[in-house]
Amino acid sequence: MNQLSLNLATHFKLPTGILGAAVTNDGTSLAAACMDGVYLANLKDKSFEKINEHSSYVSSAEFINDESTIVTAGYDGRLQWYDLSSKSRTRELQLHEFWSWDMAVSPDRKLIASVTGQYLAGGYKYEPAAETEPCVRILSADIGKILLSLPHVPSVQAVAFSPDNQFVAAGNLMGEVRIWNVNTGELAASWTTSDFTSWGIIKSHSYLGGIFSMAFTPDSTQLLLAGMGPMNDPMAGNGRQLWQKWAWQQTPPAKIDETHKDESGEGLMETLSVHPDGTRFVMGGRLRGGDWNVAMFELESGTRIATLKTGYRVTQATFSTDGSKLILVGTQGQPNKSKEGTYPKFGRIEVYDLA
Amino acid sequence: MKTSRSNTATDGCGSPEHDVHRRLFLQGYLAAGAASIASYSGLFSVPTIADEVKRHGKKCILLWLCGAPSQFETWDPKPGTPTSGPFGAISTNLPGVKISQLMPKCATMMDKLAVIRSMKTEPSEHFQGIDVLTRGDKPRPPFVRPILGSVIAEQLGQLDSPVPQFVLLDPCPEGNEFKAFKAGNWAGWLGAEYGPVRAGGEYSIPDILRPENLTETDHSDREALRKFFSRKFQNEQRSEAAASYNAAFERVRGLMSCAPLFDLKNLPEDDRQRYGLGAFAQHALQARHLIENGSTFVMVANGMPWDNHVFQHEMHQMLVPELDNVIYQLVTDLHLRGMLDDTLVIAMGEFGRTPWLNEARGRDHYPNAWSMAMAGAGIKGGTVFGATDEHGIDVAENEVDNRRLFATIFRALGISHQEEYVLPGLPTFQRVEGDTKPINEILV
Repeated sequence: MNQLSLNLATHFKLPTGILGAAVTNDGTSLAAACMDGVYLANLKDKSFEKINEHSSYVSSAEFINDESTIVTAGYDGRLQWYDLSSKSRTRELQLHEFWSWDMAVSPDRKLIASVTGQYLAGGYKYEPAAETEPCVRILSADIGKILLSLPHVPSVQAVAFSPDNQFVAAGNLMGEVRIWNVNTGELAASWTTSDFTSWGIIKSHSYLGGIFSMAFTPDSTQLLLAGMGPMNDPMAGNGRQLWQKWAWQQTPPAKIDETHKDESGEGLMETLSVHPDGTRFVMGGRLRGGDWNVAMFELESGTRIATLKTGYRVTQATFSTDGSKLILVGTQGQPNKSKEGTYPKFGRIEVYDLA
Repeated sequence: MKTSRSNTATDGCGSPEHDVHRRLFLQGYLAAGAASIASYSGLFSVPTIADEVKRHGKKCILLWLCGAPSQFETWDPKPGTPTSGPFGAISTNLPGVKISQLMPKCATMMDKLAVIRSMKTEPSEHFQGIDVLTRGDKPRPPFVRPILGSVIAEQLGQLDSPVPQFVLLDPCPEGNEFKAFKAGNWAGWLGAEYGPVRAGGEYSIPDILRPENLTETDHSDREALRKFFSRKFQNEQRSEAAASYNAAFERVRGLMSCAPLFDLKNLPEDDRQRYGLGAFAQHALQARHLIENGSTFVMVANGMPWDNHVFQHEMHQMLVPELDNVIYQLVTDLHLRGMLDDTLVIAMGEFGRTPWLNEARGRDHYPNAWSMAMAGAGIKGGTVFGATDEHGIDVAENEVDNRRLFATIFRALGISHQEEYVLPGLPTFQRVEGDTKPINEILV
């Protein structure tokens, strides 16, 4: 079944859970968005230091300005720019009233997109209430100027730029995807897939799940979505490990593939990334049932070609620029305080060589 | 002290029916309907306080947060610590007291609330936790303790009222352990006439409208005839089953007269918008409406939505603001209507959530240190009782267990927590067992 070998080359821990990460082009440094702040880790010697903080969890981190700056987004709704040479926070912006669920930087490093939205009861069956602030913001990466404020339905949990830098996609709790032209703000496509969302009939009469990660294919014509299939009891977290591939430029947009039968277990998939060579992609998250929580798939056929069972929840999977390595970050369960009165480290970093 | 009334199961008549019913009763858990055959109402021996309170018309609304909410995201935030979670803390109108940022409305009315931050209870699983926190104590076989609502309906309610005295509003037919609990015997030894009438969502109350082709006179005549024969049978045969059926008919007759109270559409649209559109909020409004119109105890639930072993923060971002608004609207409405002094509002679940997050971004069950809140009748607003340690791992001061909580609730409603229950051949015990003292610091 595994047609591709993934060999663990490096692994170490950070003090708290890692919710997002970015790696420099040379593959040596990793900016980690952690529950207690922003860390810069050296993937060669496994050293790390905490370089910045938000007032809540940090959800995303990206390198910009020729990798001299780390921009981070957090559950405090803020964006922060941290300059690595001066070791100081050079800019910050209260972008949202609620969390930044996800933040992305355009491939040309000129634009930042951040998505937000608090899920509040809008109906008897807990249909989401309408947004009270724009759920999608597009900014200039250099000075943080808000260029576009785009509407969506909370909560908007995933965002991605197209490789051609022309479009931004955002997906929400209810499985609704909207794609805009970033130059004009014009809505280019929208559709809803109900396959990622659960309405609880067991414990909770409310919605849960949605789209947690997305990535365009290299030619920008298709969009990959990741999350978890519907469950009767969303609290069980046992939905099918699910990706879908959509031809979004068709009218209407068409689903052209999804996780193949018998190739999925159970658990929320919250990261998806396309390999630099454009022939495969990786999806990862939490293992609830089955035998993998990270898997690689051929982009064209959708066939699963490799699996990993990491033993922790993977929050971000990314590839080195040269495509030779797969970098995973994530979190174990937060341990109880030790007898010495300290909390053991529970953020995880792993680097795999792709053979 | 007195023992049970003459129509209890202790008055053995020798009939096979009676033997069977008593045996079933002693097994512990009966369906609520069947349990009505064993009515032990009136067993509590000191009737003084309850009679006094009846005149005052004390009522109670229990916002039952089933599944167990997180104390960190409600009443006991720990900002800046490893256990805090992503939400911050905000100041309240009580100097020095902060609560979760998800509760901005309650923050403006903490002077009306009493919060206990030092709950420490034993059960760590739902069924046992629900059992203890709704009945007040662990099971004491062979008896089934009545649930709080049944005790209050029996002590403070008006049995001759057509409006149900104990109403459960819960639209969720499922709910794992809560579903199992709901299928059990709620009224316990008090008997089914003190069990709840259930409504909400698909639990509309069917067939309580008089058919159009049946005149009011015919309907009354038929009821009189049914009542005559069933009373005759009940008296001649000493049939408690017939007594139970009679009680059920009386209840249905009452329901027919108050059916509009159970229709959400009859509630003012402005109120419905103000409370929030989710099922829990709508039923909290309906609870206020029922209390205003004669119910004594209304329990509002919505399945087990708080059991967030996964997606803790993703669920609490929605559930807590709804709860915040419901408490605010409910307490404000009762205050403005002059009803708050006579109506106790309780918001609690069966335990709390762990200080640490599991791998699935959830918090697990945690009875060691958790929080709940009350307002209204007999409760001193503006009090925060007890405290947890720096990270919320354990109670640091003024530990409160389920017995002390129930003693406090009963005292607030003017019901003696020390009244004795006596049954020949079995140990005597009090409504709240042990030498339990109420929390005087939060009582008026």
